[in-house]
Amino acid sequence: MSSEQYKGNKILLVEDEESLAIGLEYNLSEEEFDVTLAKDGRQAITEFNSKQFDLIILDIMIPYLDGFEVAKKIRSLDPQMPILILTARTSAEDRIKGLELGVDDYLTKPFHLEELILRIKGMLKRKMWYKSISNIDSKYKAKNIEIDFERLYLVVGSKSNTLTVHEGMLLKYFIENKNRIISRKELLEKVWQINSEIETRTVDTFIARLRKLMEQDPTHPVYIKSVRGAGYMFSD
Amino acid sequence: MRKRNSLLYYVLVFTSAQIAWLSLVGLWIYWYVSNYVIMTKVGENVPPQIISEASNVFALVSGLILLVLISVSMSLIFIYLTRQMNITRLYDNFIANITHELKSPLSSIQLYLETMNSRNIPEIKKKEFLNLMMKDADRLNKLITSILNISQLEKKHLAYNFQVCKFDQLINELINEASEQFKIGKDSFIIEGKTSSRSVVDRSALKIVINNLFDNAAKYSDGPVKLKIHLEANKKFIQVKVSDSGIGISPRDQKTIFQKFQRIYNKNVPNVKGTGLGLYWAKEIIKYHGGKMSVSSPGIGKGTTFTIELPIFQTAKRRRGKRLLKITRKTKQQMEASDEF
Repeated sequence: MSSEQYKGNKILLVEDEESLAIGLEYNLSEEEFDVTLAKDGRQAITEFNSKQFDLIILDIMIPYLDGFEVAKKIRSLDPQMPILILTARTSAEDRIKGLELGVDDYLTKPFHLEELILRIKGMLKRKMWYKSISNIDSKYKAKNIEIDFERLYLVVGSKSNTLTVHEGMLLKYFIENKNRIISRKELLEKVWQINSEIETRTVDTFIARLRKLMEQDPTHPVYIKSVRGAGYMFSD
Repeated sequence: MRKRNSLLYYVLVFTSAQIAWLSLVGLWIYWYVSNYVIMTKVGENVPPQIISEASNVFALVSGLILLVLISVSMSLIFIYLTRQMNITRLYDNFIANITHELKSPLSSIQLYLETMNSRNIPEIKKKEFLNLMMKDADRLNKLITSILNISQLEKKHLAYNFQVCKFDQLINELINEASEQFKIGKDSFIIEGKTSSRSVVDRSALKIVINNLFDNAAKYSDGPVKLKIHLEANKKFIQVKVSDSGIGISPRDQKTIFQKFQRIYNKNVPNVKGTGLGLYWAKEIIKYHGGKMSVSSPGIGKGTTFTIELPIFQTAKRRRGKRLLKITRKTKQQMEASDEF
């Protein structure tokens, strides 16, 4: 499973279950990641402020500050930091709450080791890819929207919002494929780079959030339209 | 559509309903009084067939009684509804907690199995992983047993093994066992006081209670655990006070802490694990022994004291003690009979 490309990438692992933390730390170290363990929310923030990380694996039910609060704080400090939530909480509300806070991926316990490693590598790959593309064509303007892909900034009229890496990538993909119907499957494969059979709902949650940010009336979208039975289409 | 879970919504509906019927009564009385005034003024000119005073009074009184009945019924339904909503909320919390408690050790076991399957692991690491897996399996087992036991306890189907015990000796044994299990060093707890009294106790059930208190003390302490166990007896009861130096419990939470599924959500709590069944279970066990269990805490950050009172066998409620022993004999006979089959 190991790969030179990711060697030495720094991961902050926030997990209070001792047994699981030991196992995860061992496996991530075997993949040649540099792992730092935090056992609660407060420690997670302290570690995040003291070091540079490439990715964060975050449990939700942790002492002092829960995972959502940690994600919110980290997101406000660094909108591009990839965050993977790894939790036993499976409800749709939790998943949506996490994705709305801007986490990039949500994996529920019990999980498959291989899937976790693939998702981590996918997120790191996307981070690198995003850095390279955002430097080439970093700004987009249409009607009343303006997107800065480098700073992950979206301005709609007088309102401005920060985007997550995933949201930025999703918008970038839509813009590059303007006026073409794109299926959920394609989005999952091209943007998330994961097997489309896993989670098509993830796409819908991201689209819903983007519409909330971009559209005047998210129930009647102008930019990201749903095409029944086919997927989505972006037009400006 | 969003579910209306807010209690405020139901309080508003209830208050509006109450205002509506009170206004109706007000209007009704106003109508009756104004009619009465008119009738007294012009009554002499009205033919006697039209005036039927008795039936008007009857309609008013019976109407008022019916309205009061409706109001009482509405209030009862409202109280029942709020109770049910509270239970549902607690039950939802319980499901979330139990899911977490079941899935965490399960994911850990799965992770180690997959690790062993996919990597070449040194023997020493393998042993470490196996030990961690056994710990997780034990945690799962304890959790499942406790859930099943709670259900049995509520149906009064739990097989108790009551015996007359020298309480002093028994509690010392249980405290030492709990301190070993929760890794609380000998210098971290003291036992004060003595009693020569005997009590009818199920050893394994009382062990659950003591373990629960030790486990909570360890979980809810910011620094090293410090415990003081005080033992004394009066004429009727043996009293055990277990005081810890933990994060304490607010007066509000003290009222609900023994309720089923109840958990305290506080940012200063250093532990988030639990099912909300432990203290409920402990209290139910003590109640079944004919005793009482209570909690007191001077406040947040000032430690907590749990007090257990168990009846002395020689003096108080001897009949109850004998009944508990009879239950044990009966259970044993039933078990022997089923073994013979």
